[in-house]
Amino acid sequence: MSDEIHRLSDELAHDPSSLAFLRLAELLRRSGDVAAAERVAQRGRARHPGLAAGHDLTARIAADRGDVAAAEDAWRTVLRLMPAHAGANKGLGFLAYRTGRLRDAEAHLAQAARGNPDDETIAVALATVRAELAAAAPAPPAVVVAPAAAVPAAVPAAGPAAIPAPATHVEAAGSPFADLSADADAILIVDRDGLVLTGTAPAGQSEREAELGAHLSGVSDEAERAMRHLELGAWATIVIEAPGASVALAPIGGLIGGDAVVLVAVPRTTPLGLVRRVLDRATQLARAWLEARA
Amino acid sequence: MQTAEAWVATPLRQFLDDARVRVAVLMNASGQVLGQAGFARSTDVMSACALAAAINATAGELGRQLEGKPFEGVHVAGRDQQAHLGVAPTPRGPLLLLSVFDEHTSLGLVQVFFEEFRARIAKAALAIDASAPQLAADFESDLNRNLAALFGRT
Amino acid sequence: MSAFQPALSAVMRLRGVTACLVVDEHDGVIVDSTLQFGMRGNVLAALLASLFRKARQSVAAAGFGDSAFLTLEAERGRVCAVGQGGLVLIAVADPRTNLGLLRVELNKARAGLG
Repeated sequence: MSDEIHRLSDELAHDPSSLAFLRLAELLRRSGDVAAAERVAQRGRARHPGLAAGHDLTARIAADRGDVAAAEDAWRTVLRLMPAHAGANKGLGFLAYRTGRLRDAEAHLAQAARGNPDDETIAVALATVRAELAAAAPAPPAVVVAPAAAVPAAVPAAGPAAIPAPATHVEAAGSPFADLSADADAILIVDRDGLVLTGTAPAGQSEREAELGAHLSGVSDEAERAMRHLELGAWATIVIEAPGASVALAPIGGLIGGDAVVLVAVPRTTPLGLVRRVLDRATQLARAWLEARA
Repeated sequence: MQTAEAWVATPLRQFLDDARVRVAVLMNASGQVLGQAGFARSTDVMSACALAAAINATAGELGRQLEGKPFEGVHVAGRDQQAHLGVAPTPRGPLLLLSVFDEHTSLGLVQVFFEEFRARIAKAALAIDASAPQLAADFESDLNRNLAALFGRT
Repeated sequence: MSAFQPALSAVMRLRGVTACLVVDEHDGVIVDSTLQFGMRGNVLAALLASLFRKARQSVAAAGFGDSAFLTLEAERGRVCAVGQGGLVLIAVADPRTNLGLLRVELNKARAGLG
């Protein structure tokens, strides 16, 4: 682990705006150096204030310190940025449970369960809370069920069991692109940090979506730089034809869209004209989806 | 990024943002550092400046002997990283910009943005008060002061 | 005359094409080019080769294989790029250019890249 910490530290020293701070702070947290983790996370958050993962990390570090108020505050920020963030809902659920707020705990864990139906730790915790609500237990128990994730969280010795690290974010069901699902293998809205806001994920494919969004968002950065220096105006569409698929990108634009892009992946055999039409339609749907959440 | 003289900050920052090099150091022809980015230790900066100034002097002389005019840039391609050393003429004398880069950018991009840097730094130098005292008389203490300013030990 | 000139000329004959270049993908430097007056070849080469490389690496990392063809449309121009053997053939055109014809010519020229 220390080699990776060194490598990430070097990367961050070279490029302070790198997202490597997320992994570095997490490794420091796991190694017990909570103070260093907090410093790294704080600097990363200052550079990426709109990045939900940065606030999620802050929350987990605060939880390790036993600072419930700070952890709650940070997870609430995550939910403002990403309302269906399963990790934040899980974290808030456990914090609420620890402090005796069973109804709040139930609400957050239920939301987390909706986004993560296969996560047994959430299911067990939710069942526990509901059972206690039904029995009208007056105070929270001494032990909270810990998740399977290998991320221990340090808590004060007098308190209950460790607050678990929340799971990776999975977007809730109800994609705005359902009408286009027959024409495309994947349609995503990706923010400027390469994080997926929503998309047409098949069940259990959220990590694949995240990879796609992260890898391909760099292309729009590169295009923006090229167009700026070549004085060709703003880029409108990019289509990349590869053996396995054709991938098309378009900025959503306007005050609502900001730097977000819509990304469409279609079978390689799709005629280019149709790719552009699907992309145009996906962009309209993306804009409407963002406007509904403004 | 840190600079020892304020007037180089904007052109150097623009070059770093555009070219996306890993490490860069700007110096005068004597190897006195004016700005740097990506270095962790002042000793590394000193070494890089001394070597770059020597390489520039050698390359310049080689060009004069071969072509009658000095070579104005050096490119070294390593296995994983590359180095580019360019000369930027300014009214305050020629400046050298040494940059080290990897696969996240390319020689072509570094060259293109170095050309833009040359134009910007020359323009920035024109805006500086020409009557400011020259520092060459006390080179060693200037070098140390610059390094201290760069690494926050004023 | 380099081996790439016939291909470059064929692309440049298309209406609206303002620059056609063969560029080393890794270094972003020109191997050969035909440019209209006023086009800055070295700037086009460096930036567009970098864009093509980023696109190719991104789709490969996403599991779609090595990229074959890039098309970009912007407010004041279009760019097409196709790569083979470490070289990229890039065409820059104005918005009125027939994209279909441009793609046909570039795909024909691709085999000659090596």
